[in-house]
Amino acid sequence: MLDTNLAHIHLLLNHFPTIGFGIGLVLFVVALAVNSNELKRASLIIFFLIAVIAIPTYLTGNAALDKVCPRVSGRIQCPPDVSLLLAQSHEDWALLAFAVMEITGFFAWIGLWQVRQRERFSSWNLTAVLLLSFVTFGLMAQAASKGGAIRHPEIQTAQEAEIAKPSPDPQAEEAKAEANIPIARTIGAYVVGKTWLWPACETLHFVGLSMILMVCLMVNLRLLGVAKSLSLPALYQLLPVGILGFGINLLTGIMFFLASPQQYIHNVEFHRKIIFVVLAGVNVLYFMLFDKAWAVKAGDDAPVSSKIVAAISIYLWVGVLYYGEMLPFLGNSF
Amino acid sequence: MDFLQAIEDTAFSTFVRTSPTYFGFSGILLVHTIGMGVIVGVAAGIDLRILGFAPAIRLAPLEKYLPVLWFGFWMNAITGVILMMGYATTILVNPDFYVKMAFVALSLINLRMLKTHVFRDPLIESEKLSSKARFFAWMSMFLWLGVITTGRLLAYVGQSNSYK
Repeated sequence: MLDTNLAHIHLLLNHFPTIGFGIGLVLFVVALAVNSNELKRASLIIFFLIAVIAIPTYLTGNAALDKVCPRVSGRIQCPPDVSLLLAQSHEDWALLAFAVMEITGFFAWIGLWQVRQRERFSSWNLTAVLLLSFVTFGLMAQAASKGGAIRHPEIQTAQEAEIAKPSPDPQAEEAKAEANIPIARTIGAYVVGKTWLWPACETLHFVGLSMILMVCLMVNLRLLGVAKSLSLPALYQLLPVGILGFGINLLTGIMFFLASPQQYIHNVEFHRKIIFVVLAGVNVLYFMLFDKAWAVKAGDDAPVSSKIVAAISIYLWVGVLYYGEMLPFLGNSF
Repeated sequence: MDFLQAIEDTAFSTFVRTSPTYFGFSGILLVHTIGMGVIVGVAAGIDLRILGFAPAIRLAPLEKYLPVLWFGFWMNAITGVILMMGYATTILVNPDFYVKMAFVALSLINLRMLKTHVFRDPLIESEKLSSKARFFAWMSMFLWLGVITTGRLLAYVGQSNSYK
């Protein structure tokens, strides 16, 4: 069902990394100017959440291109009013913007983590997030403008209009698009071309998975009643391992995707996996925002609401693992 | 070789290879992967704490997580044997499989040593842990990484990679 709507979903989601991130950036600058910890926290939350939403936004981009310019016997065939060169330029900027956005989200999370532990923000973290968010915003604005130009002649620059102009010689046009290789394809070809790289990424993907499960199990099982003599404020120190594990898996996962996007964009298991990743991201945000779970002292029983969230957390991460494992079996490719 | 072929030809092994249900290959591999995450996640969590990461966590109560690790281990021992039976002629002649089993065996011995030198240490809550404890923590992470790597490589090295 989702498959037919992925282009739609891309058009819906792409407003979050652009407009949403812009709002977050303005809020962050205001927060730094008036030195309000509440506003700083709010903007870091926006950055983290948008970094999560940017994952499906990037991934659905390939599906949207496939919808507009379907592959006919291996060749990408665009309708006359759509320029593949513009779409490729959008993809290049989008990949760069996505990469820096994820790094911004990582540091925003570190900031949120630090403020609970030390009750103040560290200046190095705020500086890093500020610099990264400006770079992200610039790259994302480029990606958005290139993306918009694909279907909106009214906003094309003179240069873009020149590229988009229907060519009198469609074959020459096609040859030009084929000669222009987007960064994503270059990375993908590298992953496919090196026989050791795919298995190495898979092994690292398993290492990242173990790091995520480490935090997920040790924290959530404690909330559910295992090892009650541990205090939650102490276990809080373990959280960065989980986010680092997620970083490893995002990086290696994107390698697989870039190597073979066609294999993923039409695979329902992959769609479900990404939905679970986003839900797990929201679950992480719950733990960053609410104090209840982190007030549980050594020997104490966790409140019921924390137990429910802990159980949901385990369910979501096992779900991510489930759909990842089932990719080659239940989907329509591999 | 005939013996391995005989294992692979049993009705059970054929079922594992061909059943489209969760009781077939995909579901068993899924349980094997979850088990891996449980074992390595818990083991590496304890290792990191021994090595000084997250110092606020008290070390002694971490022993309570060991049954979780063992639960994952037995899950994987059982699913591992099932996978081995389903693909006996390819897995059991793959040298990488024996390297993996060596890593598993060493990991278990190491876990035993870790238990003796950390959790049975009367000075466990003191500031400084023995250098032995730190050594076994490093070894634990190295050996489990070896298990993961050689396990993943089973799909790539050896005669056939029909097992993937």
